[in-house]
Amino acid sequence: MKKLVLPLLLLCASGLTLGALALLYNLPLDTRDRSPAQPIPFSHKLHAGDYQIDCRFCHRHAESGPVAGIPDVALCRSCHEHIATEKATIVQLKGYWERAEPIPWLRLHQLPDHVYFTHVMHLRAQIDCRYCHGEVRTMVQMRRVASLKMGWCLNCHRDNQASIDCWTCHI
Amino acid sequence: MTTEAKDIRWGMVIDLDRCTGCGACVTACQAENNIALTDQQGFAQGRNLQWLRIERYWEGEFPHVRARFLPMLCQHCDDAPCEPVCPVYASYHTAEGLNGQVYNRCVGTRYCANNCPYAVRVFNFTDPSWPEPLEQQLSPDITVRSRGVMEKCSFCIQRIRRGKEEAKLENRGLRDGEVQPACAQTCPPGAISFGNLDDPNSRVARMARSPRRFRLFEDLGTEPSVIYLKGGGHEHPG
Ligand code: HEC
Ligand code: HEC
Ligand code: HEC
Ligand code: HEC
Ligand code: HEC
Repeated sequence: MKKLVLPLLLLCASGLTLGALALLYNLPLDTRDRSPAQPIPFSHKLHAGDYQIDCRFCHRHAESGPVAGIPDVALCRSCHEHIATEKATIVQLKGYWERAEPIPWLRLHQLPDHVYFTHVMHLRAQIDCRYCHGEVRTMVQMRRVASLKMGWCLNCHRDNQASIDCWTCHI
Repeated sequence: MTTEAKDIRWGMVIDLDRCTGCGACVTACQAENNIALTDQQGFAQGRNLQWLRIERYWEGEFPHVRARFLPMLCQHCDDAPCEPVCPVYASYHTAEGLNGQVYNRCVGTRYCANNCPYAVRVFNFTDPSWPEPLEQQLSPDITVRSRGVMEKCSFCIQRIRRGKEEAKLENRGLRDGEVQPACAQTCPPGAISFGNLDDPNSRVARMARSPRRFRLFEDLGTEPSVIYLKGGGHEHPG
């Protein structure tokens, strides 16, 4: 009986280690919230889907520079001065305009400082927004679909013969 | 003139007979590249963060001495001593002949700086800081390097990137002189030129063929991409 104790203990220990490793392997590394509630329940499904407003009407700088840009309150107001004015959410929206405050949208896509990304070069390569941002037209609440990890960028760059030199993205 | 050459090999020509040692390039470099300011103590410890410095030396015997200046920056060697010693490949050679430094890959062993004969690599011994309001002029195009990371001149890679992007968006090649590092743009007497050495018609390639050319520590075999011109002006016969 005594002879069996040590091997049994060893077996338990290695089993536990293996279990812990398997758990660690399966845990998501990225624990950031991919779809937090925004200060105003802005729906892409309604605006970009049902009413077919072009992405670039609101995200104006995607075609010309590195950042796509979030529209300012004045752009929302240009429509909502007349549309759905009595709805609670629009009254809330007007409040921001009257207080001359920007809407504190929560940012979902944010690369670390050591990564250089630019929208315009990707749009030039005819890559649609949905390759990277998913089916935005069906999202009631904005959700991040891409991992934004380096491997994600590199896979597509390899497939499209784009540059994979470190200094393309890390400058 | 559009660059005909397919390949790019970036190079710089510095005409020492034009250099007045004013230091404008040093300031421009500091401002362009998010380089942290070093305090007095840092300087005393030899920890000043400068990608570009002016070396001053004296020529001649008293009373006929004159001060000479030499802007010293990363020489972007073709056979760079800093590259093979990096254990994590943070220091690497790009296809365009630049010495790349990937800050986020760097783990701060400082082998590269110790192996650099030109002493142009600088190490962040502390987290960077800028006195107000200088932190507001930080460039968003490039990283702010943190403590424990080696950095050095990149020939203003962000400007090279931008030049290439603009050219691509207009479906054309890069023009000679279109991309200029901050030091070259600032230099009041125009002592610094930058361009593609692989294009025989580019300004740098033409100047690099000058008989006044020399490279620093040529005998080490590092094959620098920075070419200096000196002598032959009317004030320095021979
Ligand atoms: C009516 C204006 C408008 C239109 C049209 C629009 N958006 Fe937006 N978009 C916004 C606003 C406002 C936000 C910020 C609030 C949010 O995240 O829901 C946003 C957020 C985003 C974000 C998340 C940004 C981040 O990182 O936080 C992405 C991605 C995005 N939009 C993509 C698209 C795409 C793709 C389309 C076209 C299918 C589109 N948008 C159409 C206004 C618009
Ligand atoms: C091009 C015109 C246009 C622009 C610009 C626009 N919207 Fe709208 N928005 C609409 C229309 C149309 C509706 C649907 C109204 C309805 O169904 O009664 C709507 C509905 C909404 C609603 C839902 C109202 C509800 O409770 O039913 C919200 C919230 C909203 N918009 C917020 C915004 C914000 C925030 C912006 C600025 C980023 C914005 N909108 C920009 C046209 C626009
Ligand atoms: C190649 C992938 C890719 C494509 C294509 C792309 N995006 Fe993005 N987008 C990103 C990444 C990556 C970020 C995060 C950028 C950062 O943090 O610097 C981002 C950020 C954003 C943001 C929020 C931050 C900002 O830049 O303002 C918006 C809004 C956005 N994208 C909209 C769009 C729209 C609209 C399109 C289509 C016209 C589009 N994107 C196409 C990858 C892409
Ligand atoms: C869906 C595919 C795709 C994804 C995902 C993608 N890229 Fe790209 N990217 C491209 C293509 C294609 C080009 C080539 C553009 C060209 O050559 O004109 C490109 C070009 C670039 C350029 C400009 C290169 C140049 O030569 O001017 C940069 C910088 C860049 N990508 C960074 C990124 C980063 C950072 C990410 C990840 C956050 C990323 N890309 C994700 C497809 C992608
Ligand atoms: C197409 C763009 C792209 C290229 C090319 C690229 N990277 Fe990255 N890299 C990224 C992105 C995006 C991240 C950020 C990932 C994240 O946030 O987790 C990253 C992250 C990293 C990190 C992790 C930094 C940290 O602190 O988490 C290292 C190290 C790194 N890259 C090294 C390299 C090296 C070395 C090369 C060249 C061989 C390279 N990368 C080429 C896009 C790129």
